Amino acid sequence: MTAKGLARVQEIYQDRSRRAKELQSQGKKVIGYPCVYVPLELLTALDVIPYRIYGEMREPVTEADRVLPASFCPIMRSCLDCALKGKHNFLNGMVALHASDPQEKTARIWQSYTTLPYFHFIDMPGTVLPEAVTYFTSQLKGFVTTLESLAGRKLPADSLRKAIEAHNQQRTLVQSLFHLTESSPPLVSGTEIVQVVKAVMSLPVDEGNQLLTEVIDEVKERKDKPPSKRARLLLWGSTTDNADVMAVLESNACVVFAEDCGGYRPYRGSVKLTSEPLNALADYYLNEITCARTFRQTTTSATQKDYLKDLQSRYGYLKRIIADWKVDGVVLLLVRYCDPFAFEVPAVRDYLASISVPSTYIEYDYTEGSLAPMRTRIEAFLETIG
Amino acid sequence: MTTGEKKRVINRVKAMYPLRAKVDESYLRSQEAIKAGKPTVWAMLTFCYGDPILKAMDIEVVYPENYGAALAAAGVAREYLDRSDAEGFPTHLCGYSRANFGYAARLKELGGEIPPEAPMGGMPKPLFLLSSVAVCDARYKWFQALGRYLNVPVWTLEAPLPGIREFQLEGCYEEMVKLAINHLREFVAFVEKAVSRKMDWAKLEETVDLAIEIHRLSHEITELRKAKPCPMHSRDFWSAMPPALFLLGDLKESVQLYRNLYQEVADRVKNGIGAIPEEKYRLVFAELPPWHSLDLFDRLAERGWNFVIESFGYHSPPPMDLSGISDPLERIARFSLQRMVANYKDALAKNVVAGADVYIYLKYVREWKCDGAFLHPLVSCRSASTHLPHVANMLMERLKVPSLMVEGDIVDLRLFNPQDVLTRAEPFEESMEYYRKVRREAGLEW
Repeated sequence: MTAKGLARVQEIYQDRSRRAKELQSQGKKVIGYPCVYVPLELLTALDVIPYRIYGEMREPVTEADRVLPASFCPIMRSCLDCALKGKHNFLNGMVALHASDPQEKTARIWQSYTTLPYFHFIDMPGTVLPEAVTYFTSQLKGFVTTLESLAGRKLPADSLRKAIEAHNQQRTLVQSLFHLTESSPPLVSGTEIVQVVKAVMSLPVDEGNQLLTEVIDEVKERKDKPPSKRARLLLWGSTTDNADVMAVLESNACVVFAEDCGGYRPYRGSVKLTSEPLNALADYYLNEITCARTFRQTTTSATQKDYLKDLQSRYGYLKRIIADWKVDGVVLLLVRYCDPFAFEVPAVRDYLASISVPSTYIEYDYTEGSLAPMRTRIEAFLETIG
Repeated sequence: MTTGEKKRVINRVKAMYPLRAKVDESYLRSQEAIKAGKPTVWAMLTFCYGDPILKAMDIEVVYPENYGAALAAAGVAREYLDRSDAEGFPTHLCGYSRANFGYAARLKELGGEIPPEAPMGGMPKPLFLLSSVAVCDARYKWFQALGRYLNVPVWTLEAPLPGIREFQLEGCYEEMVKLAINHLREFVAFVEKAVSRKMDWAKLEETVDLAIEIHRLSHEITELRKAKPCPMHSRDFWSAMPPALFLLGDLKESVQLYRNLYQEVADRVKNGIGAIPEEKYRLVFAELPPWHSLDLFDRLAERGWNFVIESFGYHSPPPMDLSGISDPLERIARFSLQRMVANYKDALAKNVVAGADVYIYLKYVREWKCDGAFLHPLVSCRSASTHLPHVANMLMERLKVPSLMVEGDIVDLRLFNPQDVLTRAEPFEESMEYYRKVRREAGLEW
């Protein structure tokens, strides 16, 4: 390894599994995960390497067609397609959870059609009620049980504490990276951030933190800053895992904030360091990650409802981001068949309208062919916001 | 529907009709309740989890999922779907939800008055919404999205669903039960606050007992359908299921009606009377039927296709002994969880880790001795569709039973072509004949 910072990011982005395979050849176990709801701290604490599984937009889906219907989350279809083509065969196992129906159902199909030595499915409640957090904690205990069998040792309490600290540090570093887009022009582009996040999710946490530190230092000092463009955009959606998508959005604008699972969302806040670490993890992942899959409302037991207050409670955090990052418009970008987010589209747009922020909704099918229409849509939106 | 003249071939079970009538009655009851100043609630199907609480609190309930099917069956869903599109909801969302968004937008537009064009008298504005995490994302995200039109609170019921292997881990089931009980207690408190009345626990106990008895009878009726010829067609099951599935209307009356249904089906078994004139092929149907095109099944019955078992999600769970449990909330929790976990042990033993909704079709085909599977993936319902290719693969690999996969939709009739099914019927019959021989050679018993 010679490259550093953004050059190293490029290396990893082009060949994501290389480092995981190197570590595996040194005797480490590597576990794949398709979603940011998996508490990686538990893997890290047992010296198991977490490796984020992504779809491959440029790879035509062929194998998944025999096990999944066409009208289905194209990202999960692509992930499974890659697995069925043997692209994840190097993994020692996989962990998935009930973060959405497509993931839950794909996980079960995945388990049925592949021969990974380890597979664990974590059930996730749909709400943030106290009893739901308790149940999620019990599910994490079950996960620890099977992970300990895989690792061949018990989970040491001090290791878990250190792992939580390391992952919290990663959250802080990604937050710092995003603060570098507050200036005009931003010091780092949205396209670069997609690549950085994807690289970080391909590495052990300490190496990811080292890489983030290098990137932040480099970006602060570099001369070739991204140019100013017509508008500063906030991206809202499920996930953006391909820099080509972000590059299309950034053709004539700067995506200064990505409120999705390929951007800021997995790194918001931090896990509390308490004497009940599993409970703290359950609480963090259920409450802090603002994925549409979790049911939230102003007050759980309220018998009255006010729509605008409900919108405020669910999306109010966006207002400060929009102000701090000087956002001109919001792009709601979803892959087709992403139901949890798709149900929210009118509500998010209602909220944004209530604070006088223009927005547009763009849907794509996670293929290369969808990029040209996306370019047309984003251009049309930029025209409307001047 | 373009399948020709509407000749009725299926020999309908007479005792089904009063059960079917309870659906219309439930809408009428909700409309009358509103006039009488009583609360009405819109609820998702909760699989006997939330419904007993509402019944015991004397709250009338209507089910937008059911109403979506009713709109489809009446052929009037289109204008509500168009309205949903115009409201900005993506077109690939659940067809039931889209129809409901269109309906709710109309309701709001009319200041809370039921739209005059609504079939069956329509659904009145609810006091609150009861959603459920069970089955799919849509069933709680949909009600949350209704906030745009209905300024009423939403209560979302949890529905734990661990993996089949993970379920075997120590303490998993009891944690599920604990979640379910604690969650129900919170729900009871919410309902009490919403209606300004305390729970009548004696009435709840009686309600739970009646609900369990209704489901026991429903389960026993399904067991009778293993007979050859099968005495009751899937169409009768779908028509008769709502009072059990949704706990509609007076439960004592429902118990009696299901007893009557059981008796008539049992008499048919005793006398060798089938649901169609000549049973040439026994089929399983998965999952949600094309509500707008149900007379397709008469055309298939003319060809000797008898649908003997169907739609896992609509069936009652196998009975379980709850006599030692005094807390009605715990009885509800364990009974409701039974629907999914009852088959986990068997599924694991047969190395089917893809879920109870996959395993169950192996069980259905083997025990109801099916020659073929009619699989109906839905463009707008991922949850009822995702497992179907895997079901088809497993039925062929393990039981040598072929599947006919016909894509459609629950509400949007433009996405389903009954004529296509009829065109494919003859080659599929050849396939079923061929695999009968294959099964015999493989030593399978049917």
